Amino acid sequence: MCNFTTIRYRSGCWNFSSSYNFTISRTQTWKAAYVQPSRRPTDGRYGKNPNRLQHYYQFQVIIKPSPDEIKKVFLKSLSVIGINHKEHDIRFVEDDWESPTLGAAGLGWEVWCDGMEITQFTYFQQMTGIECKPVSVEITYGLERICMFTQEKNNVFDLQWNNEGIKYRDIFYQAEKEYSAYNFEFANTEYLLKNFEIAEAECKSLLKKKISLPAYDQCLKASHIFNLLDARGMIGVAQRTEYISRIRELAKGSGQCWLENQK
Amino acid sequence: MAELFIELFSEEIPARLQIDARQKIKQLVEERFNKRSIKFKSSQSFSTPKRLVFVIDGMPEKIEEKEKILKGPKLESPQVALDGFMKSNNLSKSEIYKKKIDKGDFYFAKTKAKVINVSKELELIIPEILKNYSWKKSMKWGDYDLSWGRPLKSIVVLFNSKIVNFNFYHLKSNNLIFIGDLDDAKPKKINNFNSYLKIIESQNIILNHKKRKDMILKKMDRICDNKKLIKNFNNILLEEVVNLVERPNVIIGKFDSIYLKIPQEILIITMQKHQKYFPLFDDKKKLTNLFLVVANLPDQKGYIKTGNQRVVEARLSDAKFFWEKNKTQSLIKQVSKLKNLTFFNQLGTFYEKTQRLRKLAKITSEQLYLSNEKVEIASSVCKADLVSDLVSEYPELQGIMGKYFAQEQGFDEDVCNAIKDHYLPVGIDSEVPKKKLGSAVALIDKIDTLVGFFGINEKPTSSKDPFALRRTSLGILRIIIETKLSIKLKDLINYSIVLYEEQNIKFVNNSITKEILVFLRERFKNLLKDKKIRGDIIDAADSSNIESDFLELYNKCIIINKSISNDLYKNIISSYKRASNIIDQELKIKETKIMGLPEPILFKSEEEKNLYAKINEIRKYFSSVKKQEVYADTLNKLSETKFVTDNFFDNVIVNDKNPDIKRNRLELLQMFCKTYNNFIDFSKIEGV
Repeated sequence: MCNFTTIRYRSGCWNFSSSYNFTISRTQTWKAAYVQPSRRPTDGRYGKNPNRLQHYYQFQVIIKPSPDEIKKVFLKSLSVIGINHKEHDIRFVEDDWESPTLGAAGLGWEVWCDGMEITQFTYFQQMTGIECKPVSVEITYGLERICMFTQEKNNVFDLQWNNEGIKYRDIFYQAEKEYSAYNFEFANTEYLLKNFEIAEAECKSLLKKKISLPAYDQCLKASHIFNLLDARGMIGVAQRTEYISRIRELAKGSGQCWLENQK
Repeated sequence: MAELFIELFSEEIPARLQIDARQKIKQLVEERFNKRSIKFKSSQSFSTPKRLVFVIDGMPEKIEEKEKILKGPKLESPQVALDGFMKSNNLSKSEIYKKKIDKGDFYFAKTKAKVINVSKELELIIPEILKNYSWKKSMKWGDYDLSWGRPLKSIVVLFNSKIVNFNFYHLKSNNLIFIGDLDDAKPKKINNFNSYLKIIESQNIILNHKKRKDMILKKMDRICDNKKLIKNFNNILLEEVVNLVERPNVIIGKFDSIYLKIPQEILIITMQKHQKYFPLFDDKKKLTNLFLVVANLPDQKGYIKTGNQRVVEARLSDAKFFWEKNKTQSLIKQVSKLKNLTFFNQLGTFYEKTQRLRKLAKITSEQLYLSNEKVEIASSVCKADLVSDLVSEYPELQGIMGKYFAQEQGFDEDVCNAIKDHYLPVGIDSEVPKKKLGSAVALIDKIDTLVGFFGINEKPTSSKDPFALRRTSLGILRIIIETKLSIKLKDLINYSIVLYEEQNIKFVNNSITKEILVFLRERFKNLLKDKKIRGDIIDAADSSNIESDFLELYNKCIIINKSISNDLYKNIISSYKRASNIIDQELKIKETKIMGLPEPILFKSEEEKNLYAKINEIRKYFSSVKKQEVYADTLNKLSETKFVTDNFFDNVIVNDKNPDIKRNRLELLQMFCKTYNNFIDFSKIEGV
């Protein structure tokens, strides 16, 4: 399986390790859990919103094949850290995604806790047009939001970072302010447009030479630049479709190239 | 009499999939039973996100099958046919015999009278039904081959309180149901629908979706009555919410009333679409800061209420921040920011688009007798809200936000409405702009889009239409027809091409105007079909000379369709057909061109002269009425010629010995037909 974050271009875990992701697509069983810092430039709010951030942490769990009892295990994981499903309204709200050009699709839910989205729960169905078998499940916990429940805080910046009095604000408030300003106001759009072209060209040229993983890095880079251009308000509705399909082309090419090199 | 009970237990199935499965699987069961002559008194289906339940009651335990004679394939048919016959009727070789009938030699079989055990039969039928149901969207999980709406965990099938045993992929039917989400709840054994209901009701699960809906509505009504609020809830949302819960609980929430200062569309979308809440309105239909949440369990500690309030306030604080920032940003100044917003790669930016729209506004306002200034202003600023934070956050509010910004900044009310309405119609059911100014801007914006994409050859194909050009075209036609815009699209399209060229935008397509008009005509024909206009009338409209005034074409189709069986219309068509039949016959005999240009000196009889005079009178009429044409009057006028034409046909023989006179009479008839075709191509309309 290749990096879903590129395809879900907005969820922006752009610095995801690519060889790791590709490897999952070849193995029959795989279990992994790790913390993933993520960026979503358009979600920056200069530190002024109680729960929206342009940089945040996700706890990713990937299991292949998806276990029968995975939903139970998931609910248990919440209750272990203090979110009890008999006191909180935990809901599984339909959230499928599909990318026809890439032939990629996943079905599942976003999980709401008392109306707040705290987790993405996805069964991967297809990648580069090939049906996933076995199917893997990906659970992406939104760490800040979950902590807001367990620490009973209304504002993410009031979260305790450790037991020594350091708060989330102390570490990330300034970063949120500065990056929001960069994302929305100061990122040089001329450079970004050029950089997008460069990353795209580099990716394509590497793919011609049958070099898949470095090509994929360039694809991820292009994807992040796209997100920044989006934040700068540079992309119209019709144009968006075009950019996304360009990125998909790169992702699809990298995935296929990697598979061929495995043979 | 026995009862069949089925429970399909799964992970949470989305509402619309659940509703479809609930209805269709029940239907499949009924169809299968009818086909197999298994009688039943009643059949019901219920669902919750995790459970699909079917109860078929009043079934026989055994059915007697009388002896039957079955006709099989012909003797000389291939072996496969015989095998198929045997398999589908469950026959053995010894039961087959041959017999000659009128149509030839055939295989036959005689089945013995037998008693069928329904339970055994169900072991075959049920898994087949489950296999045959096709989900609108389905998935796989784990390493299994089964495809279902969401992971299927267990299948309970009981007939007459006993398990109907079968395997369905990796699952085996059983009699155990699951209640809790964690290990604290062990699976419970059930015997029938009654014992099932007892258990799940003791857990406060409401299985019956109708009952759930009633419960939710009753609670919502009661809350609204107490607080003197309007009891009017979005029905689509209600249907969805009913199918998102097993243990419905309605909670009233509140947000800080400071957020009521934001445009209410933002509040409503946030609540309704993003959070699935019901916004509440006071008895003056004003939005309040109260809302209803349908939760899936009782709110013992108050977490659910405070949690939901916190979420909606966070979202609204976001919106308020942007509203205050955006509303003061001058729309006129924002227009220059559109220079950074690409419309489409080869088609320039939105700034360039609005520059083109401004120029199109000029000729449009002239044709539609609108204030040139207003159309120009509206088309210059109509896209300015696209660079606001609120529209990038709530893309569905494009136009609506523009209107609010314009109102805040004191723009003319008509201009404000045009900014909002110029995206209309957005879908088949959507309305078109209410005022002419909005229609004008909507029209030129759509023309510009259509011309641009056709210009760079990004045209829709039979299967793909990524830029929704079909919808755009249908929008153009609906605006013209529904807001009665008499406009020559051809001029507008041609000018639009010129405007692109002036901006040095390179087009690769050389026949844009022609292709767009053809494309519009196709959509127009579909639109007429939807309005139940007769096929031949649509053909007549299609082959008429009226190139690009779709309002004219439309109105003509409507009036003909309405009056086609009137005497008035019969007169027109009978005169026309008499003339055109004579011409057609002549054309069949020899290939010649009849232009419709008779020579008056060659007329011999009074009838010819009268007809000629009448035709000229009608021609004069057509050239004098033009834009003021009243179609009913025209039809009257055309029908009035009947006396003259009848006289002509009764007394004049077209086929004169003198070829010049004959020729001249044919020319006269052609002139007659051509004149009539000014209205619509009557030759395509079938006789009455």
